[in-house]
Amino acid sequence: MKQQGTALTGLCLTRLTVVFSALALIAGLASCAARTAEPRGEIPLNVGSLYEPQNLDNVGGGGQGATEALAGNVYEGLFKITDSGAVEKSLAESYLTAPDGLTYTFHLRPGVRFHSGDPLTAADVKYSLERILAASSKSSRKSSLGVIKTIAAPDDTTVVVTLSSKSISFVYNLGFVWIVNDKDTDPATQEDGTGPYRLAEWRRGATLTLTRSDRYWGAPAKSARVVFHYFTDAAAMNNALLTGAVDVVTSEQSPDALAQFNQDHSFTISEGRSTTKLLLAFNDRVPPFNDARIRRAVSSAIDDHKLLNAIWNGHGMVIGSMVPPTDPWYEDLTGVNPYDVALAKRLLTEAGKPSGFTFTLDTPTYDPHPTIAAFVVSELAKVGITAKINSISADEWYSKVFQKHDFTATLQEHVNDRDIRWYADPNFYWGYDNKKVSDWVIRSESAGSAEEQIELLRKVARQIAEDAASDWLYLNPQIVVSASKVTGYPVNGLNAQFFVYDIVKR
Amino acid sequence: MNRTLVIGCALLAPIVALAAVSLAWTPYGPADTTGGRLTPPGAAHLLGTDRLGRDLLTLVMIGARTALTTGVLAVAISALIGVAGGLAAGFAGRLADDVLAAALDILIAFPALILALLVVAAVRPSLFATVLAIGLAMSAVLARLTRALVKGVLAQDYITASRASGTSWPRIVTGHVLPNIWPALSVNLALQLGLAVLAEASLAYLGLGAPQPDISWGRLLREAQATVFTSPISLIAPGLLLAMLVAGANLAAQGLRLAADPALRVTR
Repeated sequence: MKQQGTALTGLCLTRLTVVFSALALIAGLASCAARTAEPRGEIPLNVGSLYEPQNLDNVGGGGQGATEALAGNVYEGLFKITDSGAVEKSLAESYLTAPDGLTYTFHLRPGVRFHSGDPLTAADVKYSLERILAASSKSSRKSSLGVIKTIAAPDDTTVVVTLSSKSISFVYNLGFVWIVNDKDTDPATQEDGTGPYRLAEWRRGATLTLTRSDRYWGAPAKSARVVFHYFTDAAAMNNALLTGAVDVVTSEQSPDALAQFNQDHSFTISEGRSTTKLLLAFNDRVPPFNDARIRRAVSSAIDDHKLLNAIWNGHGMVIGSMVPPTDPWYEDLTGVNPYDVALAKRLLTEAGKPSGFTFTLDTPTYDPHPTIAAFVVSELAKVGITAKINSISADEWYSKVFQKHDFTATLQEHVNDRDIRWYADPNFYWGYDNKKVSDWVIRSESAGSAEEQIELLRKVARQIAEDAASDWLYLNPQIVVSASKVTGYPVNGLNAQFFVYDIVKR
Repeated sequence: MNRTLVIGCALLAPIVALAAVSLAWTPYGPADTTGGRLTPPGAAHLLGTDRLGRDLLTLVMIGARTALTTGVLAVAISALIGVAGGLAAGFAGRLADDVLAAALDILIAFPALILALLVVAAVRPSLFATVLAIGLAMSAVLARLTRALVKGVLAQDYITASRASGTSWPRIVTGHVLPNIWPALSVNLALQLGLAVLAEASLAYLGLGAPQPDISWGRLLREAQATVFTSPISLIAPGLLLAMLVAGANLAAQGLRLAADPALRVTR
């Protein structure tokens, strides 16, 4: 009996184990099923990107990645720059400009709350503007917002800003100022914005997750959860898209990678217009490039279309000046310094260098610069000019070229919109010095109307092209690839913004 | 000649030939961009062209020259420093030898490529910097080998006899030590040639090798990565040649070892 009992107990135990195991299995399966059967719109949207933020603060050196993930998604400005480059009111419900153009009064949208629950007040706006202007600020808009003289918050919903001189771009520039809660003590690692998403988690080196904010004042975001996946390698990012690990990538950097996607109907490729211009920048202060004829000769000796085709295989465009088509003063100036080897030789002869000359081309070591340098060397050899490539790191470029102006010519990408104004500053690294151009740029800022501003800046664009102040080789395309079930993403990604709130995954 | 050595040399020969021919003739100029973007292989361009329209065969030929030059020069530097250091350690007194041996062990503990990266990062990237970096990084291994071999030879009775009969140390080194350690050293040098070429390609692939317009297989591989789906040949050609060179150098080293070591010949 005893033995039997023991056997019985053993049997029971075995049975129990089986039953429990089965239950556990069923529970496990059920939880899996629950996970896969999330309601529509609850499936996270996975975004692939090569630009992880340095930190979360666009005033504290967060970089392109911080803008991409957070601008418009987590943080909003008084105004918003849409994907087509238009200015729309966002946290400002209305505003008034005094007749002298120096005083702006902004009325804030009522009922807006930060993600922490704190209401948006005029003090927050004042604080946010002061942050940009602070000595420690690394904001790229700091210099253009330098016209701000005073900021006052007479009541909770009104902000009054006075300027030291008229600035027609002031409202546009405000589109890049994130309004942050003045109680947020550490914006580099935590956010408190007003946008349609709140930051859920940032796993450095891997992912940044946004979840829909239920406090949002406007139309709620369409996807409940968005995960940015960061890659350091474009091939790995493309593989993630191919295998469905990500649904959309913010920008493709190689046209040859598109071959994997354009045969396949389950992917959509969209090409928008970027603001990234690739420049062969001369040092206009020093010989031989202090002579406009030499600069024009170099510009005419290089076949920009062939270069663009080599690098981007039919994508992107040749621009002929410092203005991308999304800037209102764009005009096709590719005819000013056309590709014409005979003209280049004639200009060299006129400038007293019929047999060419030798110069050093400071070339950043990272792509696409080395490839472009090889092309420039081979093109210039045809007119007798010898370019010697000097490879320099990004840091070296910044100190040697940008700060010390110790260079003859260099290659560099300029990513911002509306950056033609740097030709008005003789102290900028390329040292273009033309009083007329400086005057036009200053007058364009104090212009009374947009038409006047556009007209003046068109003159600037034409003048710098005629002087070949730099050689604008081409404008990058902005290529977004997504799974075809994904719609509603921005195609231009202007100024590295990537609004995710309208993206829908079917 | 044994079979391994023959196969090794057979793998190396076409690369040496490509490099030699490139000195006098290449199908196109290295800066000639008239070939059209990623033209597939054909009569005009046997291996096709790259993104800029440069002839790939031309680039690969010049790359072979770069690879061999860097490899040989790096091995020469490594041999010069390594053998001299090894000899010094072998002859040194107890304390100096211990210090040198410890220093070498620490150097060897660093992967050669990381050491080379450090050297290149400290100076401006150039072909010379690459050669120097690789040569230095590899010399530690050679120094330790030389030291051990020298110690072995010096312990032999005939050295004692030689000393007793009044032969000077320099005569002993040239007459006894070097001839006796040379077979083992040459095997190691051949092995190092393969490693040096691989290191050069790795540095160039990482963007730390000789800058443009110097052409390296590593740089070609880096550029081909972007176009691998549209033009796989631009990845295959330099990759295959690199593999051939490294395999050739390794097999040649093994063949030399077989030829040099009678014991191994007997067991076969």
